[in-house]
Amino acid sequence: MRAVDQLSFSVEPGTVTGFLGPNGAGKTTTLRILLGLVHPTGGWATIGGRPYRQLEAPARAVGASLESSSFHPGRTARNHLRIMCTVAGLPDQRADAVLELVGLRDDARRKVRGYSLGMRQRLGLAQALLGDPAVLILDEPANGLDPDGIRWLRGFLRMLADQGRTVLISSHQLAEIEAVANHVVILNRGRLVRSGSLAELTAGTDRVLVRSPAAGALGEALARAGAQVVGAGGGTLQVRGMTTDQVGHLAFQAGIELHELAGRRSDLEELFFALTAAGPPPATPPPGYQAPEVAR
Amino acid sequence: MIRLVRGEFLKLRTTQVWFWLLLATAAVSALLIVAQLAPADGVRSAADVPNMFASSSEPYVLVFVLGVLGVTTEFRYQTITPTVLQTPSRWAIVGAKMITYALVGIAYALVAVAIQMAMAVPWLAAKGVHVDFGNGDVIRALAAVFGVVALFGIVGLGVGALLRNQIVAVVVGIVFLLVIQNVLVAIPGVKNVFPYTPGGAADAMLLTNVGPTDFNGVTLLAPLGGVIVLLLWAFVPAVVGAAYSMNRDIT
Repeated sequence: MRAVDQLSFSVEPGTVTGFLGPNGAGKTTTLRILLGLVHPTGGWATIGGRPYRQLEAPARAVGASLESSSFHPGRTARNHLRIMCTVAGLPDQRADAVLELVGLRDDARRKVRGYSLGMRQRLGLAQALLGDPAVLILDEPANGLDPDGIRWLRGFLRMLADQGRTVLISSHQLAEIEAVANHVVILNRGRLVRSGSLAELTAGTDRVLVRSPAAGALGEALARAGAQVVGAGGGTLQVRGMTTDQVGHLAFQAGIELHELAGRRSDLEELFFALTAAGPPPATPPPGYQAPEVAR
Repeated sequence: MIRLVRGEFLKLRTTQVWFWLLLATAAVSALLIVAQLAPADGVRSAADVPNMFASSSEPYVLVFVLGVLGVTTEFRYQTITPTVLQTPSRWAIVGAKMITYALVGIAYALVAVAIQMAMAVPWLAAKGVHVDFGNGDVIRALAAVFGVVALFGIVGLGVGALLRNQIVAVVVGIVFLLVIQNVLVAIPGVKNVFPYTPGGAADAMLLTNVGPTDFNGVTLLAPLGGVIVLLLWAFVPAVVGAAYSMNRDIT
């Protein structure tokens, strides 16, 4: 069993870094290693140059909210945070302050048993913020949030970044990362696929789609002018290295009829699919294997 | 460490299990007095009084369970994740829990002893038996009750830290304490192991004036020996748990 494998990346202070990968890529395991909850068989993870378990006051340096909401169902949200305040030597008012911050003030004295997934996510955020840490590690914070909650989370994360905090946020939902992150680390099957700023990663991937009844002639003309042309079927060409203006002008000069001309901005989603799609072929059953009969 | 212990007390207070187990402790204590005083051949003289009070230690099983839950509930509901994120040292976590559950054991013993005294003293007075709290055997029995119950809080905590799984730890613990120990006493040869079990060590501390025949011919350890054996049962699982089990991956 391989869990993560040879991943390597660093997160710069004062940025929101999106940690992206399909389900099962090793995101949560990586974060748990970073937080000293899981022992790597090789390699190391440090925060500010030190392993998590050697930090002086870890809860004040690093706030974390992990995927599995970890609360006792019979305890109220406020009491859960009060316990953490007691251990950290913070006054109980700090618990009330973070509950207010994440919008749970009115539900603070309810037992977590009755909380929706979205409310548990908010409580997880409140827990992460309790020690006012400079570093935040959030595993799939958008899971279970309704559209309103997601919009709230975006604004909230942006606010935290504007305060100069370092935020590492994992997700398999690309739109979330695209909306808040300035750096992206993409993970697939335990390996680092790509990392860099959002702008760097999406640069140079813009393209033009053009549809014409004379696609062959147009393709030759475009290639002669220095564009990379790929046929996309149905008389459609995919052109790189030219703007829509240039393609339209060239077609006009060559007297070629166009039925469609459109620019396509490559977004993170396409990049993500392109980078993570190529995996090993699906497992084939071993010889002699027979699918079990399904009892009726 | 004081903050950690206060945090542990708050964890206990903000859930309900302590209340139900305390209620059970009170009920068991009261029933034991009725069982010892109501029958005609029950407690009849001042000489029986120390052993009657020693029965205040019977709720040790409940305090043991409370100790087990003190660790395993954290793994069951994954509150162990915020706990270790806040306090990465497993030694500090287990140490704070040991202190907490020893103190909780003393509090439960206090309730058990108070209930038994409140019932037994007037009842015995009606029977014409005077309870002398200056009597050395009575004082020793009461001191042993507090020691035994406090140590069983730590035994439970250690077993919980060692096994991590709530159902396994509770079932293994209760079956061992209530069934296996008592079966051991009945098996020739094997029964000589009994003095070294937690129950046998507790009896050595509690029952200072019984003969060997009371335990199927098994001779209990001296009270001090009982203290040492029960201390081992309390500390060895807790130390192994802190050093090994608690350090395993938390996923």
